[in-house]
Amino acid sequence: MNVQMLMRAALVCLVTVLASAPGAAHHSTAMFEWGKEMTLEGTVDKYEWTQPHTFIWLNVTGKNGKAEQWAFEGMSPSWLGRRGWNSRTLKQGDALKVVYYPLRDGRKGGFYVRVILPDGRKIEAMPQRSS
Amino acid sequence: MERLRIRVALTAAAVALGALAGCTGSNADSSATGQAAAASGAQNGYAGIAQLPDWSGVWEPVARPNRGGTPPEPPKLTPAYAAQYAAYQEKNRTTPGINFISNVANCVPPGLPASMLQPYPIEFLFSPGRVTILIETYSLVRRIYTDGSPLPEDPDPTYQGTSVGHWEGDTLVVETIGILPETSPMSGINGHSEKLRITERIRLVEPDVLEIVTTREDPEVFVEPYTTTARYQRHRDWKMMEYICAQNNRDSVDEHGNPGIDIERKPGE
Repeated sequence: MNVQMLMRAALVCLVTVLASAPGAAHHSTAMFEWGKEMTLEGTVDKYEWTQPHTFIWLNVTGKNGKAEQWAFEGMSPSWLGRRGWNSRTLKQGDALKVVYYPLRDGRKGGFYVRVILPDGRKIEAMPQRSS
Repeated sequence: MERLRIRVALTAAAVALGALAGCTGSNADSSATGQAAAASGAQNGYAGIAQLPDWSGVWEPVARPNRGGTPPEPPKLTPAYAAQYAAYQEKNRTTPGINFISNVANCVPPGLPASMLQPYPIEFLFSPGRVTILIETYSLVRRIYTDGSPLPEDPDPTYQGTSVGHWEGDTLVVETIGILPETSPMSGINGHSEKLRITERIRLVEPDVLEIVTTREDPEVFVEPYTTTARYQRHRDWKMMEYICAQNNRDSVDEHGNPGIDIERKPGE
């Protein structure tokens, strides 16, 4: 992701506001607290560029200092791939913050909305909410 | 950058127009005429294809009956299906987002016409006597025979059914029967009879906006034909992508429509 690509992704998102209802295509969003943004900092263990959904597996230091792994489902390559993302946008070892909608059942996971890189750059990963 | 900005602004305007204009429960325009009609490509082989409209590029759905456009008029349903639809509306109101009628979360593909209303693009290929529609979501293929052959009497049911088509001017009219009865003929209705018949009228309404008017007929479901309109935006610079649902599907839905997600990682994953 260079700056131009980010700009392009941001601009395309503006277009998308008009075009799309937010949400995941392939399944219900009911298992997530849709719209409630949480943030978690960690290191990427694996980035899965897969259909029907991408996944960020994030290594996190839990509150008690114990290592935890979190799972974040995201939009598909079909969506992200046309908005500046690709299979190499995130890779193992990347330190970042994940902004996500949490799972309702309390398990360590959610749906990723955007990632924030150490220098503060944000990479959007969902249609922007128009409301 | 300036060029990009202008292009994005234009695209936004086009998309907005498409969204505003799209998705009403209107009647199909049956007045289409035209002589280019005969150019199904069957009679004239590949030379005949040059007379067909230019539908090249990749088409992104921008206005669908249930998203991004004016909702269609409610369908007129038979009592059994009216009850099902009312229950759906009520459940949608009280527990929005519950995925109670769709098995697609289990990677079972949608049938026609839902397959044409998925969020990712579609593409058209013309060859003599045939139009092929490639649907990115779930990697579906529709083969529409335009060589004048009739629909079979009683085809074995399939997700995309059995289709024939003909050209009325620059409008492709597609008739489809033989759709699996467990599929959804419209949002909020699960299942239909073996009599379901889908008629699609497909045409360009702007240079880069394609309209598909879809009429559903099934006497066991609909008291009168139910028609919706969807619009698609052309992207000449997009490429179709692979979509194999089984690649990494951690989602599921049970028989009551309750969604689930598996976030356990097995060794080696």
